[in-house]
Amino acid sequence: MTSLILSPAEQDYIIRGVESGFRADGRGSLDRREVSLRTGMISQANGSARCRIGNLGVGTDVLVGVKAEVNSWTPGEPEDLGSIVCNVECSPSAAQEFEGRGAEEINVELTQLLDRILNGPQSGLDLKKLCIIPKQAYWVLHIDALVLDVKGSIVDTLVWATRAALMSTSLPRVVVETIGDEMGNMQAEFDVVDDPEDLTPLEGAENLPISVTFSQIGKRYVVDASEQEEAVTQAKLTVAVSPVMEICAIQKGGMFRGFPPSLLAEILETAQRIAREELTRFDVHYAQAKSHLSSQADEPSTGSTFLVQF
Amino acid sequence: MEIDEAPQKVDIAARIVTPGTAITNDPAFMRGHGTFSEHDTIYSSVAGVVERINKLVSVRPLKQRYSGEIGDIIVGRITEVASKRWRVDVNSRQDGVLLLSSINLPGGIQRRKSESDELQMRTFFAEGDLVFAEVQSYFADGALSLHTRSIQYGKLRNGTLVTAFPQLVPRSRSHFHTLSCGVDVVLGVNGYIWVSKHVPASKVEANAELIYSDKNEPISDDEREAIARVANCIQLLNRLYVKITDMSIIFAYEASLVHSVKELLTHDVAVELAQNVMARLEQQA
Repeated sequence: MTSLILSPAEQDYIIRGVESGFRADGRGSLDRREVSLRTGMISQANGSARCRIGNLGVGTDVLVGVKAEVNSWTPGEPEDLGSIVCNVECSPSAAQEFEGRGAEEINVELTQLLDRILNGPQSGLDLKKLCIIPKQAYWVLHIDALVLDVKGSIVDTLVWATRAALMSTSLPRVVVETIGDEMGNMQAEFDVVDDPEDLTPLEGAENLPISVTFSQIGKRYVVDASEQEEAVTQAKLTVAVSPVMEICAIQKGGMFRGFPPSLLAEILETAQRIAREELTRFDVHYAQAKSHLSSQADEPSTGSTFLVQF
Repeated sequence: MEIDEAPQKVDIAARIVTPGTAITNDPAFMRGHGTFSEHDTIYSSVAGVVERINKLVSVRPLKQRYSGEIGDIIVGRITEVASKRWRVDVNSRQDGVLLLSSINLPGGIQRRKSESDELQMRTFFAEGDLVFAEVQSYFADGALSLHTRSIQYGKLRNGTLVTAFPQLVPRSRSHFHTLSCGVDVVLGVNGYIWVSKHVPASKVEANAELIYSDKNEPISDDEREAIARVANCIQLLNRLYVKITDMSIIFAYEASLVHSVKELLTHDVAVELAQNVMARLEQQA
């Protein structure tokens, strides 16, 4: 999405390379760069994660924080559901065109995309569990994402970071009591336990989807386009796939070309395959990192901070 | 001056410092680049390594913008086409300038510049083109003035650009290297490095009319792989802070052959290769 200008010779080199199956950095067309994830680094947030997709420490970098707030119910809102509010902001230091108000459009686009992926039953989060007392109070999860650096594949990084942040989110325990008043009416009251050790993890976060973005370059498409590859991308398709291999969201971007419909079925199937592989690898690393952390029980924990590289 | 007497003098050399670190308060020392003094103490103003030459204390920064010198060989990207000149991004504080009078016009070096040349500047270089040039002089505001008045300079084709830290590309006799694997490397002192398919010099000279062509030569799969491998080697040398010279690239290339091209940019393989290269460089020195 950055406006890197390439010479016609460079563009031709990349396009012909992709069409022969050779990307400029030697990756196959369905290979992703290294993904590194760290969670729990923002101690004041209920959950946080930072994801970087790229090589050797340089890549697209997104930081996500999750903050939970109790909201009072107002008539018109769903009676027994909590809610999720997303906000994505691209830092002006991420790319030159984000200076000043340059990032407004892309902020809105990414916020709406994230919202579409997370809000709704397909996201896997059970919003009913976020309700404290029906028609009275519910949890609102504010998900704030900050894009720190852009080197291609901004959506995939954003979704990975959000998923990891929600998986590391834990909410304070809430105690609900039903009290009867003089007239015999039953009133429910709740109390948020103010103990930083007494937390319940957010349920259903492991059902969240991840996204795979396909970029059409010449006559073929590649996964995880680098900055140079994005400069010659004509159309993009982002597919969000859940761990149960359901398609949660699809978004087509790129103003230069459309996708032939026959390609669509193939892309959806490939997206499912890639998502399955990545989620399996992630689960293995995540479990390893978590068990490693809990074995260091003697260290004071500022939350679980660990690095998953896969 | 006895170095043994005052311990702080021995400590000075080869320390890594951050801005604000006190280096010494010995009044015998003069302060050089990268330092400032407050009261009687010399502090570092940049993040880098302390260097001491006799009585001069300076700090060499780890990361620095490229500042051009006359005679530097650089690779730049055209950002703007202006009246009788092009503005060129040279990875420095300011864009460089390439004057129309500083380029080779197709049809022989001796051809006079005509008015139609002025109006057709984009047929030579357009926005986004990569140019291999030499620094000729400075403008009054410090901007570099470039020229491509030699057959080896000009528009770059048949390859890909790698961006490295400028201080990792040392100035040397030659900046254009042909590696044994059939890959040409242009090491721009400003950190822009062009990796391309080897085109014999005879072919370049024979086609004097085509020096501003945008068309690539046909590139085979093996050549693409070699280019990708060299580009990845340079990238990993850059990220792991190893000096980028023809020798270090060749060492990295040879050591990289046991891995697949895409593996070269994964963390563990990259660290192993960089250490390998540094060991061989030290051996050689």
